[in-house]
Amino acid sequence: MSSRTTPGTPDFFAGEGKGTSVFRLLRNNILSVLCVSLSLLTLVPLFSIVVLVVGNGLPLISTSLFTELPPPPGGDGGGIGNAIVGTFLMVGISLVISVPVGILSAVYVNEYAPVSRIASSVRFVAKLLTGIPSIICGVFVFAAVVMTTQKFSALAGGVALSMLILPTILLTAEQALLGVPNSFREASFGVGATPFQTIWRIVLPEAMPAIMTGVMLSVARAAGETAPVLFTALFSQNWIHSLMEPAASLSVLIYNFASLPYPYHIKLAWSASLVLVTLVTVANVLAQVIFRPRHR
Amino acid sequence: MHREPARPHTLTNFTTALDQLRKSVLMMSSLTQRNLKNAIRGLQDRDDDSCNNCIAADEEIDLLEIQVDREGIEVMSRFQPVASDLREVVSSIKIGANIERIADLGVGIARRARKLNEHASLPEVHLLDGATVLAQAMFDDAVRAFAERNTFLAVELKSRDGELDRMNREITDALIDRMQDDSANLPAYLNLIFISRCLERIGDHACNVAEDVVFAVNAEDIRHLGK
Amino acid sequence: MIPSEIPGSPSTPPVLALTDDFAPGESNFIKVRDFRFFYGKKEALHGINLEIPSRKVTAFIGPSGCGKSTLLRNFNRMNELIPGVRHEGDITIHGTSIYDPSVEIIALRRRIGMVFQKSNPFPMSIYENIVYPLRIAGQNSRQVLDETVERCLRSAALWDEVKDRLHESALGLSGGQMQRLCIARAVASRPEILLMDEPCSALDPIATAKVEELIIELKKDFTIIIVTHNMQQASRVSELTALFYLGNLIEFDNTRKIFTNPSKKQTEEYITGRFG
Repeated sequence: MSSRTTPGTPDFFAGEGKGTSVFRLLRNNILSVLCVSLSLLTLVPLFSIVVLVVGNGLPLISTSLFTELPPPPGGDGGGIGNAIVGTFLMVGISLVISVPVGILSAVYVNEYAPVSRIASSVRFVAKLLTGIPSIICGVFVFAAVVMTTQKFSALAGGVALSMLILPTILLTAEQALLGVPNSFREASFGVGATPFQTIWRIVLPEAMPAIMTGVMLSVARAAGETAPVLFTALFSQNWIHSLMEPAASLSVLIYNFASLPYPYHIKLAWSASLVLVTLVTVANVLAQVIFRPRHR
Repeated sequence: MHREPARPHTLTNFTTALDQLRKSVLMMSSLTQRNLKNAIRGLQDRDDDSCNNCIAADEEIDLLEIQVDREGIEVMSRFQPVASDLREVVSSIKIGANIERIADLGVGIARRARKLNEHASLPEVHLLDGATVLAQAMFDDAVRAFAERNTFLAVELKSRDGELDRMNREITDALIDRMQDDSANLPAYLNLIFISRCLERIGDHACNVAEDVVFAVNAEDIRHLGK
Repeated sequence: MIPSEIPGSPSTPPVLALTDDFAPGESNFIKVRDFRFFYGKKEALHGINLEIPSRKVTAFIGPSGCGKSTLLRNFNRMNELIPGVRHEGDITIHGTSIYDPSVEIIALRRRIGMVFQKSNPFPMSIYENIVYPLRIAGQNSRQVLDETVERCLRSAALWDEVKDRLHESALGLSGGQMQRLCIARAVASRPEILLMDEPCSALDPIATAKVEELIIELKKDFTIIIVTHNMQQASRVSELTALFYLGNLIEFDNTRKIFTNPSKKQTEEYITGRFG
């Protein structure tokens, strides 16, 4: 190093200690290699799932898959049309319930009364509920809705799913609202806007991308849940005609058909898995792409 | 009103620069005081050496005036002084100009004294004794008022200017009478009149200094308020 | 608060006035009476008495934490967004207390424009930024909005620079332009008073000069109160200056007087940089 300096001037790098650098470099490299290999390792299960599902599910993909009802046990032909409809329906119901409740609660907790006891209770409970086992949601709604209405129904299924995703939507929405700079609110109040106008015109639109991401992720989760739907919506071999009827869903179909001894049903289960995985992936991608943050 | 300078500035460079400006003005003043004393001694004691010292030393005072101006402008551009600091800088620059004029008047006295010394001594030189004392006292007090930031002294100083004017008039009248009687010494009498004039103007400039001191300390402008 | 006579030795007459000076105390536009302000238990302002005249620029100066921004933000009651604050005493505008129950905070804030230290345009187009105050007041007529946008941008000396991109995002402007946009937005609902909380502290000298020039133009139509750390700025743009320290009002007088011959020793020490 001293060959780079002009003779007579002090060596800039003198005193930096060169003895330990070799060991440090080695340790650094080992760590890097470790990190990279473990990261690659995590991709393996994901990759294998995709390969497996696509490989086994692709054969039966056709229009009839989406338009026909499943065959009776032992039968042949048919599709998973009602399950797809059922999943969309119940996820839809869950969104109708939990999105407004979640967003408005987050608005209250963050904008109107951030330091109140209600706010801290809501936050606390929401965090607890994110960890609730999905089967508990199912059992609870079974007792609360199915028993009272004396029916298994799509509605009950939707309610169970909403219980599942509400805490996530609420907490995501709160984070999104927190992420809106306070300067916007100040500017809005400064020109004489009411809290409602400020929230409706400035804060919510600004937070929407992040909120929608949370919603999309919840959709992805809800579409794939089996336990809550299992004893609320039950299953059906037919098209659904009313919300108060039992409904088929992709997740329950997979559960049912995969354990049957009939090859065709097993193939249907694989195809349903492919559809479900595709649905979840699309929802995730939509969340990242369409609702990316606006101009910064 | 007396206002002592407050604590030093947080920015020490600022205080240093202001102090330096003040020192330059004080240096000018003491040099000018010495020169004036020399000029008057040259006149009264018929000492050509004193006259020459006075004339030679004037160059240094001129250079100091340039330095005072430069330092003052530098303080203003670097530090953007306000309030008392600003008044002090502006006053210092003006006082510098006045002191330089006083020094020039001293030189004028010295030159004329030298001419007078070439001929026989005139008893009429003593007509100027009172004026020389008063003029020097006024200048000395003006310098002291600046050094001590003493506005009482500065205000009091102004009141003596009338006296000096009166003395100058009396001297001039007396000399004019003498000129009519003794026309052989006309040039000498004219020189004496000129010297008397110089002394009167020294008093005026000393008053200017006093006014600038009052402005710097009190923010009062006591110029042109009628005598 | 009436200033004392200019000090001088008894035998000398007072200083000659150079131009028409304003004597604080003659107007009753914004009056602050025995105003005390508390953040929870902490008293941030101790008994402020102040009268601010209309159509002039008044500067609040003082070291950090002296209460100048606190007082400013009380004029449009923005401080009430902070939980746990309370006040004693009163602030009146044109004789009406701003705390009077009949006064709606929303209406008050529409009559008073505010510009903040860090410019905060909304994440919308330039056009929408300016018409926001009108929209929230229910004004949606295209013609009125267009006129307002042009008027405000011209007032803010920004029209020529942005007239061809009114519908582009406001966040694409430079720092100085954003601040002028905020000023334009602040004058959109034709307030009488403009409050400015260190509007130039994040701007470079050229942008600062443009904003200062703007302030001097605006004072023909608005009463402006500007909080600033920069004393030279206060002396450049304001006609009256109030010095605050530790929640107290130390001196309030014509800017010319404060910067050539302040009455209080504390003022002298602060503005000449002998403080601290």
